Amino acid sequence: MAIKILSVDDSRTIRLIVGKAFRPYDVQLCEAANGEEGLAVAAREKPELIILDVTMPVMDGVTMLTKLKEDADLKGIPVIMLTAESGRENVLQIAKLGVRDYLVKPFKEDQLIEKAGRCVNLQKKPAA
Amino acid sequence: MSDAVNYQDLARKYGFAPKLESASRLTQLVARQDADVDEIAKVINKDPSLKTRLLRAANPDAENEAEYSVETVEDALIRNGVGCAMVLAMGTPLAMALIKAFQTMLSLNLESIDRHQAMPIDGEHMLGTIGFNGKVVGSVYLRMSIEDARNVAATILGLSAGEMQDTSEIRDVIGELLNIMTGNFKSNLCDAGLECKLEPPDVKVTSDLETPVARGSGLERMAFKAGKIQLFVDVTANPWMDD
Repeated sequence: MAIKILSVDDSRTIRLIVGKAFRPYDVQLCEAANGEEGLAVAAREKPELIILDVTMPVMDGVTMLTKLKEDADLKGIPVIMLTAESGRENVLQIAKLGVRDYLVKPFKEDQLIEKAGRCVNLQKKPAA
Repeated sequence: MSDAVNYQDLARKYGFAPKLESASRLTQLVARQDADVDEIAKVINKDPSLKTRLLRAANPDAENEAEYSVETVEDALIRNGVGCAMVLAMGTPLAMALIKAFQTMLSLNLESIDRHQAMPIDGEHMLGTIGFNGKVVGSVYLRMSIEDARNVAATILGLSAGEMQDTSEIRDVIGELLNIMTGNFKSNLCDAGLECKLEPPDVKVTSDLETPVARGSGLERMAFKAGKIQLFVDVTANPWMDD
């Protein structure tokens, strides 16, 4: 059964790149464009991994992560931050909230796959 | 364990690239506001590229180094102001972030070139702007021809230029490129004590080649080339704003 991964980023470009990275794998990718949508999709789809941006309109990634960790049903989902921000305050605050990993943009698709592969068991799709 | 030690541990754990020391040191000194010229000059003298750029900025009419009337970093700082040096220093991490973004996302080696040797942009082009506000106020401007923007966007998304006809898609990719380079740069400013927030990027087609520079702000102008692609980056900043 395909692994459900949720990509939360306001940039369509990043969501497309994330989608491209996981295309060879047996993954069902869900998307959200901000933290508020991300929480709703996470509650509905119960993904096995969340890839989360920080700076987004409506609700930013730090607020979404805080709310996620307060929710008994969702707090166990591993989160990888995917953001251009690596400032000390941001990183310390995010690490304190609890994330599995942190990837700074720009990133190579194989870096994302490597970090995701440490959280979930990625399987290549069988050749067509 | 202090936050600083914890941050270093986390940076190692997550595999962050090391920050550029001279830019960080200089930004920290300027952020203090009470640093003297000698202290700042010492940092700049250790960074040959920054020293060259500062002297070039202090001798705007000189065709070459032999014509420089301002020859030392100290004199350049007195002539152009410490804020100018910081804007130049801020240009370095910005340039590195752009070069890294091209290497990582496009597998292209972007090189910094002399702006005067670049083929100037003429007429309509793509302009991306992103502002930052807080203890430092300024903007980053990214300009390129529409054709180059289409090629860059197509390569990042793994498409051919012919498949990339939707201008809104091109704008989204260029906006994200701008976000990535400025996000790294903003992190450097915040770490140096110049806390600021980024505004959402604005990307549009325009014929206007003017970069507005607010009173009291410094301006750093850079140009880059990768094959036929040319990019122009301007950064304006005033580091001594109150939030």
